[in-house]
Amino acid sequence: MSAALELRGLAKRYGSFVAVEGADLAVERGSFLTLLGPSGSGKTTILMMIAGFTEPSAGQLLLDGQDITALPPEKRAFGMVFQGYALFPHMSVAENIAFPLRVRGQGRAERDEKLRAALDLVQLTGFADRLPKQLSGGQQQRVALARALVFDPALLLLDEPLSALDKKLRAELQEELRALHRRVGRTFINVTHDQEEALSLSDEVAILNHGRIIQKGAPAALYERPRSRFVADFLGKSNFFQGVVRELGGGWLGVQVAGLRLRQVVDGPRPGLGAAVLLSLRPEKIAALGAEESADNIVEGVISAWSYLGAGFSLAVETALGVLRVHLPAWRAPFVPEIGAALRLGWAADAPTLVDDDDAA
Amino acid sequence: MEGGYSPGRFGRALGWATALYLVLPLFIILPVSMTDQRFLSLPHEGLSLRHYAALFASGEWFASIAQSFWIACASTILAVSAGTLFAIAAWRINRRATELLRALMLLPLIVPSIVYAIGLYRYFGWWDLLDRFAGVVIAHGVTGIPYVVITVSTALASFDVRLEQAARGMGASLRQVLAWVILPRIMPGIVSGAIFAFIHSWDELVIVLFIASRDVFTLPRRIWDGINENQDPIMAAVAMLLIVFTTLLLVVDLAVRRRRDG
Repeated sequence: MSAALELRGLAKRYGSFVAVEGADLAVERGSFLTLLGPSGSGKTTILMMIAGFTEPSAGQLLLDGQDITALPPEKRAFGMVFQGYALFPHMSVAENIAFPLRVRGQGRAERDEKLRAALDLVQLTGFADRLPKQLSGGQQQRVALARALVFDPALLLLDEPLSALDKKLRAELQEELRALHRRVGRTFINVTHDQEEALSLSDEVAILNHGRIIQKGAPAALYERPRSRFVADFLGKSNFFQGVVRELGGGWLGVQVAGLRLRQVVDGPRPGLGAAVLLSLRPEKIAALGAEESADNIVEGVISAWSYLGAGFSLAVETALGVLRVHLPAWRAPFVPEIGAALRLGWAADAPTLVDDDDAA
Repeated sequence: MEGGYSPGRFGRALGWATALYLVLPLFIILPVSMTDQRFLSLPHEGLSLRHYAALFASGEWFASIAQSFWIACASTILAVSAGTLFAIAAWRINRRATELLRALMLLPLIVPSIVYAIGLYRYFGWWDLLDRFAGVVIAHGVTGIPYVVITVSTALASFDVRLEQAARGMGASLRQVLAWVILPRIMPGIVSGAIFAFIHSWDELVIVLFIASRDVFTLPRRIWDGINENQDPIMAAVAMLLIVFTTLLLVVDLAVRRRRDG
């Protein structure tokens, strides 16, 4: 697979404020990439630099190997769906969608044909003569998508496309967007602060914090193998244990955490004896053990708080390791939770991940 | 204002008094224009339309009305083009220097028009623009710019920058963005500015007194002369027509604004 778009050392500084620094990224043709980060992490700045609305302070942008860093936005002509959609309020749905074709001076017949196909693509046939304000939020979003795709752009850029919608509609449109991506086979670059959206939509996710790309990978790889505390914490929830390596085995470590010896599998580079390490453990990877059940790591605790979430229970369990957050599927919970109830918790040696402690940074 | 506090008795009275004070002079004009006397006065024995008839029969008054109309049209075109272009440029560039320029563009509103007129008299003398149609058009056009700058800037302030970005992102050139996206969105502001610039020229007297004398004899000028010389009630009839005309323009402005806000 060749890279459709490449960012090389892209940076944006405003005076002494660094919005983006050293962004390197290769986006494969036809893939769906999401830039994910909290607000102020620089994700929108990167998107605006790709679109051409923000001029980079340093670095290069390459489209199919061609340097486009100095190209103005109208020459790049990437499709873009703006936050709030930016539909032209004085134009009908048809005029909005046909706008990029009109700009290119295409003939009426060709325009009409592409317009029909675009309306079809987003299932808005019959809405051609409406004004944007006569449409629902979801429909406006589809018009914005059709308008961004109608002129066959090399890239489709999406700036928090679903943030203005309510939760249920958002889930629906996530599916639609995913299906649309499969149908048109274009390269999509999406920006969001919603981690669920990032995980469910993307082929690849790049996580940003403080203007830097911290980790990039397929959603499952990022979730299962976060490299740092920030990623583990931002993408879902996690329990963190600070420990010291006291034992080296074949493919595993013995980590001393607050008086307990935990068995931990390592597949990457192994820290030496006496090294301080940070373990990240997902709440859903902790099991409540029956009396005879065993696990690689076992800790006893007392429930200090719990809540029912429909699909499962969320527990806070006081243990020797501190308060552990635990998610148990409701249908498989061996008991009804109760504050003060004693509990044996266990997890496999390969369940936690060794992560860098980047929180101080 | 639904759900607001209703004004007290005193407030209500004050409000009506103010409104009455504002429109009373206008109501005096109406009976005066229908007087049966030969000089400016209230009707004595009955109402008459003879002064309206005289107005429509008079070539002089009609010439002045036509002249005022064409001057107002031409100076409006001047003010609207210059004012709109300036407002868009200032909005796009948006630096501290443009704020200064904006203040500069409002000067004709701030400087007393008699001061402005004296200055113009001097320059127009050098350039041979005194008592010329073009001279009055330029003077009225320039002093009409502030109205356009204000209304267009206001319209631009509520223009969503992302619309411009969206258009450019889809490959539109600056000219296309201007013609298809920005101008249609701020058209109500431009129309508003045009109406005010037109009214400004239509009833402007002070500058005309200085820079025109015989060949250019606008309607306000003729009214002014009429009052000074012969107290002819025809002036009241003209004034009534002016009031009706101006009111019509303001109603149009209101309608345009309502359509924009609706």
